Amino acid sequence: MTPARAAALAAPLALPLALLALWALAAAQIASPLFPGPGKVLMAAVQNFWIILDQMGATLRRVLIGFVLAAATMVPLGILLGRVRLLGWLFEPVIDMLATLPPPAIVPLVMLFAGTGDAAKVTMIAFAAAIPILINTFEASKVRNAMTSLVARSLHLTRWETMLRVDLPAATPMILTGVRMAVAAALLVSVTSEILLATDGIGVFLQRQQENFQIAGGLAGILAIALTGLAVNTAILRIEKGVLFWHYRNDGQS
Amino acid sequence: MTAALRLRGLVSLLFVLLVWETVSRLGIVPSRYFPGLAEIAAGAAEMIRNGELLAAEAMTLGRAVAGLVLATLIGIALAVLSDVSPFFERGFRTLTGLLQPIPPAAIVPLAIFGFGLGLKLYIFIIVMVTIWGPYLNGVAALRAVPVEQILNGRMMRMTPAQILWHIKLPAALPEIFAGIRYAAAVSLIAVVVSEMIAGRDGIGYLLVRKSFSIRIPETYALMFVTMVNGVLLAMLVNLGRRLLTGWHVKQMGYPA
Repeated sequence: MTPARAAALAAPLALPLALLALWALAAAQIASPLFPGPGKVLMAAVQNFWIILDQMGATLRRVLIGFVLAAATMVPLGILLGRVRLLGWLFEPVIDMLATLPPPAIVPLVMLFAGTGDAAKVTMIAFAAAIPILINTFEASKVRNAMTSLVARSLHLTRWETMLRVDLPAATPMILTGVRMAVAAALLVSVTSEILLATDGIGVFLQRQQENFQIAGGLAGILAIALTGLAVNTAILRIEKGVLFWHYRNDGQS
Repeated sequence: MTAALRLRGLVSLLFVLLVWETVSRLGIVPSRYFPGLAEIAAGAAEMIRNGELLAAEAMTLGRAVAGLVLATLIGIALAVLSDVSPFFERGFRTLTGLLQPIPPAAIVPLAIFGFGLGLKLYIFIIVMVTIWGPYLNGVAALRAVPVEQILNGRMMRMTPAQILWHIKLPAALPEIFAGIRYAAAVSLIAVVVSEMIAGRDGIGYLLVRKSFSIRIPETYALMFVTMVNGVLLAMLVNLGRRLLTGWHVKQMGYPA
């Protein structure tokens, strides 16, 4: 390994490690249970490993259900609004308004209709995930490439065939971008929903740790959320690139 | 905004209000849970009369704006640092990947220990969750400044600092503002969540209190207020964009 390559490999880690060292030093100086160092946090993470894993599982299960619900309803709805002009004209401002409503603000409403159980949390997650999918699907199915439409017409494709074979693939990249944003939103809101409507999940774990003044444990929980988010986001990006290999290939050429 | 667009917004708003009132009158949903518009308006008027709405609103908007401004400044500073030093950029990318997925709600419980329940808590949380928009867009935009412009600057004997201030930053500003607009939405979410959890003041706290005391019309009115807040903050960001990058708007020929 050449020195230049070693430097390139070290670069992504050097700054985080330096900050970690700084944190450890500061914690050693202050020596207060309210300001644990990285070692204490790591110990808490190991101690609570199975609890964190278990609670994270409960959280991710709801994220999955809420996300699937949102995707299954919002992609068809977005296409409908994008294709039927009048509906799109009427509802676009409504979607814009809903997009400015913070998902946590619907908590009181959700509690009225769904209580505080799994259904309530899944509803919140689905709402948060629905907005980006709906907006992107709507925008993507509204525009029609003039060139490909002409090609479809000269090939004598029926309207249905044109939609399925030409317009849908053309809209996929943007729809998938919405999906990626929706997954991130679903993860964010899942923890929020658990803290506000406590039963189980990683959000509840965080709150219990705080109530017991277990700062290290709380930080371990946050670390787990950060790592999970990073893993999920990376996985989604990989899948997107795999599905859209033709899109990225074309992008690279132009 | 053109007249046609304004008309459309009005038409669809009226449409929503009409559907709402119809659903409420028909009693498909228990009317206790789904009050009519008049009741909601009365709830809002009551909260305005006793002053709690305006006090909470000032609190929430003030926090959101203060946090957003600070997050933007730090984000741009970090973006410039990343542009100057690729080494820093690589290291900070690792941190970005780790910190970006952390929801504001997750930091609130622990941040309360560090910052108490005052303004500092909210600023900290907003900065933690909104810095990424301005930062990431800033890094991308600074990198995308055309070489010709920079070479032109060098030809005019500008120092690197002058090139940064007079050429690169102005060129990057429009894209940075796109990041700020996204951050504005996130900052409102962060403030409302934090207020709901911290539970002392602000719109988020009022929302929790009204819903727990089953004041349904007030709850709906407050949800409407949070929606309007999103629009207000977006308008504020647009105003800033027009003040700082008016030349760009003119060049591109689209209304801000």
